[in-house]
Amino acid sequence: MKSHILFNVGFAVVFFLAFTFILSLYKDDFVQALDSDDYFPKDATLGMNACQNWTEDVRDFNPTEVAEEISVLMYHRVVADDDVADIHLDENGEMLSTVITKSAFEAQMKLLHDENYTTLTAKELEYFIKGDLEIPEKSVVLTFDDGFKDNAIEVYPVLKKYDMNAISFIITSAIKKYDQDYQASEYQYFSLDDLKNTCDVFEFQSHTYNFHKREKDHTPYLIGKEDPIVEKDLQASLYNLEGRNQAFASPYGEYDEENIELFKKLGFNIAFTTNPVSTEIGTNPYEIPRKEIFPSDSIEDFKQKIE
Amino acid sequence: MFLHITLGLFALFIVFQLLYILYPLFYVKKDPDQQELEKGISVIVPAYNEEKVILNCMQGILNLDYSNYEIIFVNDGSEDDTLKILIDNLEFEPTYRKLPAVKIPHEEVRDVYQSKKYPKIFLLDKENGGKADALNAGTEYAAKEIVVTLDADSVLDSASLKAISLNFQQEDVVAAGGLVQISQGFEGNFTNPTPTFRIPGLIRYQVIQYLTAFYLHKLTQARLKSIVVIAGAFGAFRKQALFDINGYRKTVGEDMDVTLRIHQLIKTNKKYKQSKLIFIPEAICYTECPATLRDLYGQRIRWQKAFVDCFFHFKKAFFRKLGIRLSIFFLVDALLLGTLNAFPIVIIPFMLLFNADNFMIALALFTITIFLASYQSTVMMIVSRRFGMHYSRINLIKVIFFIPFEIVTYRLLGLAFIITGTLMYFKNKDSWHVSRRVGNTNTFKPTPLTDKEAV
Repeated sequence: MKSHILFNVGFAVVFFLAFTFILSLYKDDFVQALDSDDYFPKDATLGMNACQNWTEDVRDFNPTEVAEEISVLMYHRVVADDDVADIHLDENGEMLSTVITKSAFEAQMKLLHDENYTTLTAKELEYFIKGDLEIPEKSVVLTFDDGFKDNAIEVYPVLKKYDMNAISFIITSAIKKYDQDYQASEYQYFSLDDLKNTCDVFEFQSHTYNFHKREKDHTPYLIGKEDPIVEKDLQASLYNLEGRNQAFASPYGEYDEENIELFKKLGFNIAFTTNPVSTEIGTNPYEIPRKEIFPSDSIEDFKQKIE
Repeated sequence: MFLHITLGLFALFIVFQLLYILYPLFYVKKDPDQQELEKGISVIVPAYNEEKVILNCMQGILNLDYSNYEIIFVNDGSEDDTLKILIDNLEFEPTYRKLPAVKIPHEEVRDVYQSKKYPKIFLLDKENGGKADALNAGTEYAAKEIVVTLDADSVLDSASLKAISLNFQQEDVVAAGGLVQISQGFEGNFTNPTPTFRIPGLIRYQVIQYLTAFYLHKLTQARLKSIVVIAGAFGAFRKQALFDINGYRKTVGEDMDVTLRIHQLIKTNKKYKQSKLIFIPEAICYTECPATLRDLYGQRIRWQKAFVDCFFHFKKAFFRKLGIRLSIFFLVDALLLGTLNAFPIVIIPFMLLFNADNFMIALALFTITIFLASYQSTVMMIVSRRFGMHYSRINLIKVIFFIPFEIVTYRLLGLAFIITGTLMYFKNKDSWHVSRRVGNTNTFKPTPLTDKEAV
């Protein structure tokens, strides 16, 4: 009997190619299904300390005109204009306040660039508040809350292009171990790959491990839960972040005095609120205000917010 | 959690399917060695109320291309005319020359006969004791070194005993399974059978299933020393091994039981340390499969009960006494995946029920299942062709169109049998459904007995 070796190998190869093809068709569905209810483990690290070293450097600006007060801007999601879907709209068909279009975002960043704005790191901001660092008159801090995947897809290239940097407050439990295809119409968060690919522009800080939630009576977890429980959650996020505790942003911008004591205890140097005013020397470092940029903001509105 | 379990099981399913696809594909049939002297073979044919089919096996026996054999019919206290038909047709006369080995117990043998017409054919008439008991009696009276068990409705291929003898030349072969073909899937006569697919769907389903079971599963399992069952319809054993395991055990599935006990013998008895169970694809017998849903149901329920019974009987023997590989095949492939045979397909509705978001996963499992099943069937056709199953072009087209249809229809039927059989095992452990015989109604035309005289 002949061994049919060529035929067999060919047949097996075709089989494996076809099988791989079918698996690849459904790969994302499997990844999504397996990953969807899974939190990023508390006892694992996101592993990007090495590429976040730049956030430790404090630049020597030697500005000709020194800033008295600056704006910290707050964003959440940025989606391409074509990608805007029902999920981004409220019941009246208006864009949710947490979503802006990429074209608007690009125009804003272009303006910052054209006007020679400097984007500060969290550490530089801290030094500025404490009066230890002179910063240019035209300085701004960009912050992105929650760590949506669109930040990696849409925001990153724009910031990279203009050589700017931003703080990204991530809910570390939401980080995905496996990368998925980006879909604007879903709530997707950074994957480990996304973190790695964008860590030269974003400095990643804690937005809790898994406490971006409210109690039934709408009290945010940070306020509603007992302090030791909150502490555990924040500690988990810090473990994920390998101890990087330069800055913290409270979910919904809501916090109480005990929270502030906890931030201090955990070694955070600064914490942010959502109070839309300017920041100046002497601002309480644990209550740094932020101005949210809304989808309805015109470029003139934006100008006012950064001035 | 549910999803993780599902996907874990599915991954196991894929592993076994890949084994069953790849190993048979790359199997190279050995060229037969020069036939040395013929080994002595005793063919035991147990019969209980088989008047309609008891003479069917004679077609094969008379055409055997072999001489060193004897046939022992065992009438297990039939209540119909089985005994009379045998005596009338084969001219049996009482003999005192045949004596038992007195090694394994069995119900009392009333008379021993020898055929005047064919002196190599004997008949034991005994008290009813069940199939296992009849086989034990047959083994007791067997004079030859190798015992072949054959169902009354099964027809030996003319080259079958030669193939068995050839393989048993290797001293380490202690038991072997033959290849069981469905006789309705052939036309022509027994000396020159031609496969056909011009048969009803229910039989087509079984033909595909048998071909898959033997040419893919058995071939792979034999290679991995993990044959889970030597089919009762056609198996071969060294008589001494049957004595050493104290014969067949009275159970609903004596064939799986005896197979597992042979494995146990190999693992636990020093004398059998080097021994092995093999599969002989060239040793073919043709058996009539159930032609109605009702009979098929009865047969499959019996098989499933036998399987569950064996699981409980051997539950303490797995791994240590039965070896790792056989235990894995039995527990994972046969029990875990097999008892949820169409597992992926069955699980899909539940997945959707639990979480509609899993629709894509359900679709994925479904696609992969269909893909694997189609490829497996393709390999099955290729391998069986290499072994000489040459379907004509028209029949081949029929097969190709039937398979995708079969995967989503008849195969689900198998699942229903498995679930029902398992449940019925627990409900009534002893009920024994004897499948009705329809007699020889298939397209396979028997050669009239009188045509052949010399045996």
